[in-house]
Amino acid sequence: MVLEKITAHEFIDMIRLGSHRLEKNAQFVNSLNVFPVPDGDTGTNMNLTFQSGYKAVNEADTKHVGELGQVLAKGLLMGARGNSGVITSQIFRGFSKSIEQKDSLTPKDLVQAFASGVQTAYQTVMKPVEGTILTVARGASEAAQAVIDQATSIEQVMQAIVQGAKVALATTPDLLPVLKEVGVVDSGGQGLVFIYEGFLQAVGGSVTDDQAYQPDAQEMDEMLNAAHHQSVQTQFSNDDIANGFCTEIMVNLGEQPTSDERFDYETFQHTLSEIGDSLLVVADEDVVKVHVHTQRPQQVFTYGRKFGSLAKIKIDNMRIQHETIIENDEPKVVAEPIDYAVIAVVSGIGLEKLYQSLGVTTVISGGQTMNPSTNDIVEAIKNSNAKRAIILPNNGNIVMSAKQACKVVKIPTVIVPSKSIAQGMTALLSFDENTDLETNQQMMTEALATVKSGQITHAVRDSEVGTLKIKKDDLIGIVDGEIVINGDDVVQVSLAMCQVMQDEDSEVVTILVGAQGNQETARQISQAIVNDNSELEVEIHQGDQPVYPYLIAVE
Amino acid sequence: MAVTIQTKYGQVDISNEVIASIVGCAATDIYGIVGMASKNQIRDGVNEILNRDNYTRGVVVHQKDNKTIVDVYIIVGYGVKISEVCRNVQNKVKYNLETMLGAPTAKVNVYVQGIKILEED
Repeated sequence: MVLEKITAHEFIDMIRLGSHRLEKNAQFVNSLNVFPVPDGDTGTNMNLTFQSGYKAVNEADTKHVGELGQVLAKGLLMGARGNSGVITSQIFRGFSKSIEQKDSLTPKDLVQAFASGVQTAYQTVMKPVEGTILTVARGASEAAQAVIDQATSIEQVMQAIVQGAKVALATTPDLLPVLKEVGVVDSGGQGLVFIYEGFLQAVGGSVTDDQAYQPDAQEMDEMLNAAHHQSVQTQFSNDDIANGFCTEIMVNLGEQPTSDERFDYETFQHTLSEIGDSLLVVADEDVVKVHVHTQRPQQVFTYGRKFGSLAKIKIDNMRIQHETIIENDEPKVVAEPIDYAVIAVVSGIGLEKLYQSLGVTTVISGGQTMNPSTNDIVEAIKNSNAKRAIILPNNGNIVMSAKQACKVVKIPTVIVPSKSIAQGMTALLSFDENTDLETNQQMMTEALATVKSGQITHAVRDSEVGTLKIKKDDLIGIVDGEIVINGDDVVQVSLAMCQVMQDEDSEVVTILVGAQGNQETARQISQAIVNDNSELEVEIHQGDQPVYPYLIAVE
Repeated sequence: MAVTIQTKYGQVDISNEVIASIVGCAATDIYGIVGMASKNQIRDGVNEILNRDNYTRGVVVHQKDNKTIVDVYIIVGYGVKISEVCRNVQNKVKYNLETMLGAPTAKVNVYVQGIKILEED
């Protein structure tokens, strides 16, 4: 069924869906907000403005579209908040003036109404800044003008409006340098696109699914950084900064025991603006992040703690550009909340780095003996501030203490029983942070079997193992816990051990060079392995592990 | 009077005229402002909209206790929510002064001197 005109029923629907769609995406719009003042509230302001318009329309007692337009304009005017809200209210004031006398709207009327909205909006500003909501409104209106002669349905007009708005939105970074710097499109313009998309839904068109958007921790951080850079760039010299400490805090709102005040954005921001400058406050329901330059960081902490627990603190002395150490009586600094913690037990700086590059969140240093206590593991899980955790013990001896740790901690935690550094690495490759805990445990555990782990070390005493007669200080090769070879030449022993580990499916050999090993020898071992079997590829990494000069894995 | 910044190389003075220009540019960026007005309407003629070079006549800057206080005289367009527009001016002016000058701003007072009726109203 083709909609040929807008009656009161459709009009109210349009406003309802426009308002609904904007509301759902308000946080996303906030996250884009860098102009004219980067305070991250454009989405909130536009949303409140449009809600006020919708409320008025919803309570209106009329079936005349022109009158409804008047009601909408008045509601938007009364509720206008922020720059974006004022512009929005003005666009719809022009829109409603054009339809004053009409009790229903044809596609032509609709195109003209949008045009009138743009005209009014442009009149009320001295220097129209392009690259803002004005640009988006104009792009939408021009696209609608282009189809005015062939459009037979309301939906066609709205399609053109949305399309034109989106194209214009994409051009905003080219028109307004500050947007390009931060790498965003204009926030108000994005808000208007959401409103128009809602209109389109109401008249039978479809739009892409709502993204219930919430800027994540990283994006909030980016916003704080952008604010910091903008303010720091403009100082004459770091020696002259009146407020010498770049202070950032994150408050988990309402978390006992410290929370005794209800958070109100305006009050909060105003209070902090008295303490320092370059202030930026971003907030959602649970968290508020603050960036401020001040002489009195302590006051920022004290004030923040009134609203919840301080989850994160950072102070940089901008004069001497290094992080000052927070005194011990400060609240403990906790990591950002994350979904998954993957905790691995390893020894050696190189291996720690290697593991971190593979996506481990916490490395527990196993030390010489590779034997962390249950408590070490529990602490690591607690400090990770994650919702769930996976433990990679990387050693048969640690599985028990890891199991104990699982029982003690509050978050769901599973063990992937890796018995060696190499197994742990292979398991990590199967980890998928977008999958649930059980599936991850299963996939990672299955991966363990695909790798064979060999260790090269020195015998600590004389012994006999099977047919092998081993003397103290001999080099020995251990595969999955059993000694398979001994000798005095490291390349020979390594090669022989590698041959034991290979089968016809083997493809990759990884050599991890320990604290007592060296890269040169590792290359010789690698050469020997390839000469022996040209099918294999060998990778060498610096692991710095103690005890084992070389760890060799075959997959 | 001026804002004075001491650096290790010497002193930087930013005159109040410069600050007034910054304030004028910041204010006229704000949606809903159609112009700056003279603070002396009697002397300079009523509701005369100042051009760019004269913004300083619509802005008064003075310092008190090392903080800058600015008075901004504006003309708004008809049909906007004036209270909100003024709040936006205060926000933007404060932000621009603090980022450009690194000078703490104590107060931004906004005086609406006139309203401009647009053609179609």
